[in-house]
Amino acid sequence: MDDSAKQVLRKIIRRIPSNKLQNILSKWEHLSKKQFRSLEFTQAKWLLCDNLLSLCEENDLSMKHVTELEMIYRIENPAQGSWNVCQLIDPSEEAVTVDSLTFKDSFKAHLKHLISHVSVKMKKHEDNAIWIRIAWGDNFTQPNHLNPTYVVHHLQTPYVFVSGLTAKHKPFLHQALIPSTHYGGLKDVHLSGRCLTALRDLLMRQYKQAFPVKHPRLLQEKSPVPSHPNIETEHAKHTEKRLQMAAEAFGEGILPKLETAVYKLETRFRENGMPGRREEPFRGVVKFSSSNLLESLKNCVSSGMASAPVTPLLSSITQKGRNYFVITDKGPGVSHTQGRKI
Amino acid sequence: MSLKPFNKLPELNTANVLLVENEERFQKKLADAIVLLENNVNVIVRLARSLPLPLENAESRPRIDLVVFIVHLNSEQSLLSAETSLKHLDSGYFLGKVCFLVTGARCGTLPYERLTSLKKMAATLNSPLLMTEDKTAEGVNTAAQRVLAVLRVAAGLVPMATGLYLSSLTRCTVPNDPDWQNQD
Amino acid sequence: MSKKSNPSRLDMNASSENDSSNSGRSDRSLRVAENSRKKREAEDPFLLALKYFSRVEEGTPWRGNDVLERHMAVVERVALSQGLPPEAITVMLDFALSLRMRTQFCVRTLKILIPASAVPQDAVIQGVSWLCVGKMTVSMQVMFLRWVLTVFDLIDSKDQLRAIYGFIFSFVTEESLCPYVCHLLYLLTRKESIRPYRVRKLLELQTKMGKQPFLMHLLALYKIFSPELVTLSFPSKMKSGFKNHNSTWKAALSAVQRRNNVEVTSDLRLTFGPREQPVSKKRKMRSHLTMPALSSVPQSGSSGRKALPLEQLRAFPQLLENLDRIELPAQMGSMLGSSLALHYLDCVRDSSAFLRLNFWLGHALHEEFLFCREASSQNTVEGTRFLNTLISTQRLLQEGFSSTEVFLYRFLRVWDGSLLRPEILTLLSDIPVVPSSRIKDLLFEPLMQLFFTSSLFFKCSVIECLNSMLLKWLTWHSVYALEDELDISVSSQNPVNMTLSGLMDSVVELVQFVGRIATIGLQLEGYHTLLLSFTLDFYETVCDMYLKYNLPLVLMPPAGVFYPALLSTSPVSVDRLCHVMHKYRTNLVSAKHQEKQTEKPFHISRKTYRKFNQYVVSIVSCLWNSRAFQPGMGIELGEDLLTRSKVSEYWGAFNLIHHPAFVSYAIDFHQKCWPERKELDLNSIKAGRRWDWYTEFLFCRGFQGVKEFVQNSFSRRSSIREVGTDSQ
Repeated sequence: MDDSAKQVLRKIIRRIPSNKLQNILSKWEHLSKKQFRSLEFTQAKWLLCDNLLSLCEENDLSMKHVTELEMIYRIENPAQGSWNVCQLIDPSEEAVTVDSLTFKDSFKAHLKHLISHVSVKMKKHEDNAIWIRIAWGDNFTQPNHLNPTYVVHHLQTPYVFVSGLTAKHKPFLHQALIPSTHYGGLKDVHLSGRCLTALRDLLMRQYKQAFPVKHPRLLQEKSPVPSHPNIETEHAKHTEKRLQMAAEAFGEGILPKLETAVYKLETRFRENGMPGRREEPFRGVVKFSSSNLLESLKNCVSSGMASAPVTPLLSSITQKGRNYFVITDKGPGVSHTQGRKI
Repeated sequence: MSLKPFNKLPELNTANVLLVENEERFQKKLADAIVLLENNVNVIVRLARSLPLPLENAESRPRIDLVVFIVHLNSEQSLLSAETSLKHLDSGYFLGKVCFLVTGARCGTLPYERLTSLKKMAATLNSPLLMTEDKTAEGVNTAAQRVLAVLRVAAGLVPMATGLYLSSLTRCTVPNDPDWQNQD
Repeated sequence: MSKKSNPSRLDMNASSENDSSNSGRSDRSLRVAENSRKKREAEDPFLLALKYFSRVEEGTPWRGNDVLERHMAVVERVALSQGLPPEAITVMLDFALSLRMRTQFCVRTLKILIPASAVPQDAVIQGVSWLCVGKMTVSMQVMFLRWVLTVFDLIDSKDQLRAIYGFIFSFVTEESLCPYVCHLLYLLTRKESIRPYRVRKLLELQTKMGKQPFLMHLLALYKIFSPELVTLSFPSKMKSGFKNHNSTWKAALSAVQRRNNVEVTSDLRLTFGPREQPVSKKRKMRSHLTMPALSSVPQSGSSGRKALPLEQLRAFPQLLENLDRIELPAQMGSMLGSSLALHYLDCVRDSSAFLRLNFWLGHALHEEFLFCREASSQNTVEGTRFLNTLISTQRLLQEGFSSTEVFLYRFLRVWDGSLLRPEILTLLSDIPVVPSSRIKDLLFEPLMQLFFTSSLFFKCSVIECLNSMLLKWLTWHSVYALEDELDISVSSQNPVNMTLSGLMDSVVELVQFVGRIATIGLQLEGYHTLLLSFTLDFYETVCDMYLKYNLPLVLMPPAGVFYPALLSTSPVSVDRLCHVMHKYRTNLVSAKHQEKQTEKPFHISRKTYRKFNQYVVSIVSCLWNSRAFQPGMGIELGEDLLTRSKVSEYWGAFNLIHHPAFVSYAIDFHQKCWPERKELDLNSIKAGRRWDWYTEFLFCRGFQGVKEFVQNSFSRRSSIREVGTDSQ
C-alpha cells in the first residue's frame, strides 16, 4: 500500500461519521471476519485508522480497494456536496438498448482515450443507477483520488447527475458520456441540490405533481374540519382556496427536497415605459434558500403568507424542473444564451 | 362593515368568543382547549384570520361577546395585522369585550419595542393583555382558562360583574419605571 | 529558560519508581540510586524509552531512525492503553516542546500525551517557558495550549500557574493564540490577578479584533470579580464562549480513564463545564442551569498552601477550622448547591462575594427565564430544580437576593400565571419590603392583571403568597427593629434602610391591596369558600400585627370580606371570622391601654374603632339578637324588598339557629332534645335555657372562634362599648 492510498484511506475514514463507520466497513468485504472483529470502534478515529491501515497492509490492499470503500459510503449517503443535473439530447436509435455492461466498457474506453491519467470505477446500484467515480489526473500527474467526481446515470433516461466536477474536466466527461449513451448532445438543466433522490424524483416526475389547468378542480383534501361542533371558522372558504392554490402550484403530497432557487434578473431601466438611455442592463440576483425550499414555498402559499395565485416564477420550479432562472426583457438587446425566458 | 357588539340578541346560556390570529398557528389549539374546559355554559368559538369578517357569514354569525387578538411577538406581521383588524371593530367592543393574547414575551431574541408598542396599544384601548406560553400544553390550557374567565364576565354570565368592570381592573398598564424600561 | 529542563529530567529518573521524588537530590545519591536500579530498568522497555527521550540530543536524525521509532512505539502503546504517569508526561512534554526532533515528530508526541492520573504542574510551567522561548511554530503553540486546556483539571495544583499569570497573559497579543490564552486565563483568574493594565490591554484588543466571544467572556469574568475596573456593559445574551479544544485527545483520554477505572470522567466534563460546552446554542442556553459542581481536581499533596479552595471542604468542623483561609470558587454559581459554602458566605459577609453571586444569579435567571428560546418540558424540569435550589438557598440565608427580586418584577410582567407557579410564588413571598412608592408599579399592577383573569386556584395561591410575604415582613420587623432606633435594615446585601413609617406604609398598602382584590375576587368567584378561607388566613395574620409583631397598626377587613364571611354557608368561615374579630378586639384593647399609658406618638384612627364596633354589632345582631338587616348594621335592605323575598321572619334568618351555616347543627340539636317529636320547630330552641344549651352544644362541636368571641365580648360587653365610645 503506497503513501497516497494511505492518505486517501485516512481522508475517507475521517469523513465518515463514527456511528456509520462500522456499518460501512462491514460492507467493504476486504477484511476477514476476524480482522473486522479486531477493530475497536470506540477508539479514537486516528487510532482506528492506524489499525485499519495495518490490516490493509496485511491483506495487500491497494488504491483500488480504498476507492471502493469511498464509493460504498457515497452511494449509501448520496446527500453530500452539490449535485448538478445534465440532460442528454437527440437520442439515436440505439439509445434505448444500451445495457450496463456495454455502457461501462464504452464509457471507460472513451474517457481513457481522451485523457491518459484517469481512474474510473463503476458500480451498479440497486435502483438501476450506475455510479461512476472518476479521479482525474492530467498528462503528467497521477489521478488525484482526493477530489473525485461522481456521476450517476440511470440507463434509458436522459438525465445525468454530476457532483464534484471542475470546469476543466467537464468537456472530457461530456465527450465520453455522449457516445457511450448514444445520444447527440448534453446540456445543463439548471437544477442543482444536495439531495440526489429529490433531484431524480423532480425530473422523473416521481412525486404527486400538479398539472396546470384552467378550471379549478375539487380538492379531495379540504381544509381541516373543526374537531368540535362549537368551533367555527370564519375564513374557511379562503383557507380552502389557498390550499387549493398551493396544491395547484406545487402538487399535493410530499415535495422533493431542494435547497435553493436562484433568479437572475437582467433588465433595463425604463422611463415612462420606454427603455432608458443607459445601455448597461440592470442586474440583480434573488436567491431563496431553505432546508426544504419547495415545502416552504408551498407552506407560504397555503398559510396565506404569500399572496395567491402563485407567481409562475415559483411554480415553474416544479413544472420545469429547474432552480436556476435568468429573467430577461422580452425585447431585443439583452440576451442570454442559457437562460430561458419566463 | 365593522363588527358590532349589540346588534344581535344574546342566546340563553351561551357565550361566543372570536379568536383573531393572522398566522392560524395557535387559535386552533386554544379553541380546542376552550371548548373542552367549559361544561356549564355553551361556549362557541369562532376563528378568524383578521377583521373584517367575511360578509357571507354575517347572517349566521351570533352575537360575539369577546374578541381575542392573538399576537405573536416574533412576527411583525402579527402585530400589524392585529392593528389593522382593530379598525374594523365597533367602539362598543372596547368597553370590556376585547382582550389581547401575547405569545413569546419571554423570548430574548425579539425586539423589545414590539412588546412595548403592543402594551401601549392595549393600554390606550383599556384592554387586558394576557401573556401565554403557546409551546406547552399546560400553557395552552392556562390561556384557555383565562380567556374563559374573561369571556364569562363579558358575556354576562357572572352576576354583579360586567366586562367593563373587569377590564377596568385588568387593563394593561405601561410601566413608567425606568428600571423596567432599559432592560439591559 | 531552556535550562530549566535539566532538573526535571533528573527528576524523572529518580521518580520513575520512587514516589517521594524531589528535585533537590544531589547528583551523587542519584547516581547510587541509578546503579541499583539499572538492571531492572534495562528490562522495562518503557523506562528505557523514557530515558532515551529525556536524553536524546538535538539534531538526531529522525527519518529511518529505528531506535527512535521503537521507543516511540513503546511510549505510544503505553499512552494509549493505560495513560502516561506524571513523570513520563514531564519527559515527553519537554521532549516535544524543546523541538529536538522535527516538528512533525513533536506533534506526534503531543498527540499521545494522555495522562493516566495527574499532570504535574511543573511540566506545564516548563511548557509555558518553552512557549516563551519562541522556537515553536504557531500550530505547535496552539496545540500545546489546547492540550493544557484539555488536561486542565488533571493538573495537580495550579498555584504556580497562577503565579505566572502575567507570562501567560502576555500571549494574548498574539492573534492566533488569543482564543486559547483567553480560555486558559479564564480558568486561572482570581480576584488578585485582575489589574487595571490587564483590563486596558483586553479592551484595547477588543477594539482591534472586534467583540470576540472569548475576549468578552474573559472581560465578563473580570467584571464579576471587580466590577469597578470594567465599566463595559455586556449584552445579556453572549455568543457561545469558548470552543471545545479537546477533540484530539478526547476519545483516547476517556478510553484510558475508563480502563483505569478512575472517576475522572466527571472532572473532564467539568473542564469544559457550563460555559465551555460548545454544541448547539440551545444546549448552551440550558447549560446555565446546571449549577457548576463544587468538586474535582485530583488532590495534590500541597497541604502547605495557604488558601483552601472551598470545594475541598467536607464537613462543618473543617469549615470552622479553616474559616480564615478559604478561597472562593471562580464560578460563584456553584455555591448555591452547597450548604457548607452558604454557611461560609453567611458567616463572612463578604460583600464582593455577594456581589459576584448576585451578578451570576441575575444573569442566569435572566438568560433562562426571560430570554429563553423554546419552552420545552425538559427546560421546565431544569428550571424547577434551579428555582427550588434558589428557594432553599434563600431560606438558609434567610434573605432574598436582590437579583431575584429584580428578576421577579420583570418576570411578573410576562408571566402567564401557570409556568413554574409554585416556585415563582414562593420566591415572590420571599422578597424584602418594597417601598410603598414603588409597590404599586412593581407588584400590584402585574399581580392584578393576573389575579382577575386567572382561575380560582391561582387566586387562592396569590392570597396565600401575599399572606406569607406579609408574615415575613412582620417577622423582619420584629427581629431587626430596635427599640430606640427605628431604622431597620431589611436586607444586608441590599441595604435598604427603611424607617418604621416606611415599613408601615408598605404594610398598609399590602393589606389594603389584598382587601381590594379579595373583595372583587370573592364577588367574581361567587363567594367561593376556598377563596374565603385563604382570605381569612390573611386576616388572621393582619389582626395580630400589634400584639404578635409589635407593629403599631390595626387594619380592619373591608366590608366585602367581612359580610361574605359572616353570611357564608360554611360554618368554618363564620367561626374563623369570630376568631379574627376576637383577635382584633384584644389588639385594640391593648393598643388603647398602651396609648393611655405611654406618650408614644402612635394613634389608631377613630375610623378603625368605629368599623370594629360596627362589625361586632353586626355579628351580635345577626347571630344572637335576630336583628339582621336593621339600621345600624352594615347591610340594610328596604322593607318592601325583604317582604317580597317571602321569608317570614327575615330578621331572624341569620341567627345561630337559622343561619345557613348552622342550621344543620340546629336540626341535630333539635333531634337530640326532642327525639320523639315529629314536627321540626327550630324556634323552640330559642326559648329559655335551651339557647344556652344550644350554644354550649355548638362550642362542643369545635367552634372555638365563636366561643372566644362570645366569652370575651359578651361577659364584658359593656367594656367594649366603653372602648368604642371612648374613641369617638
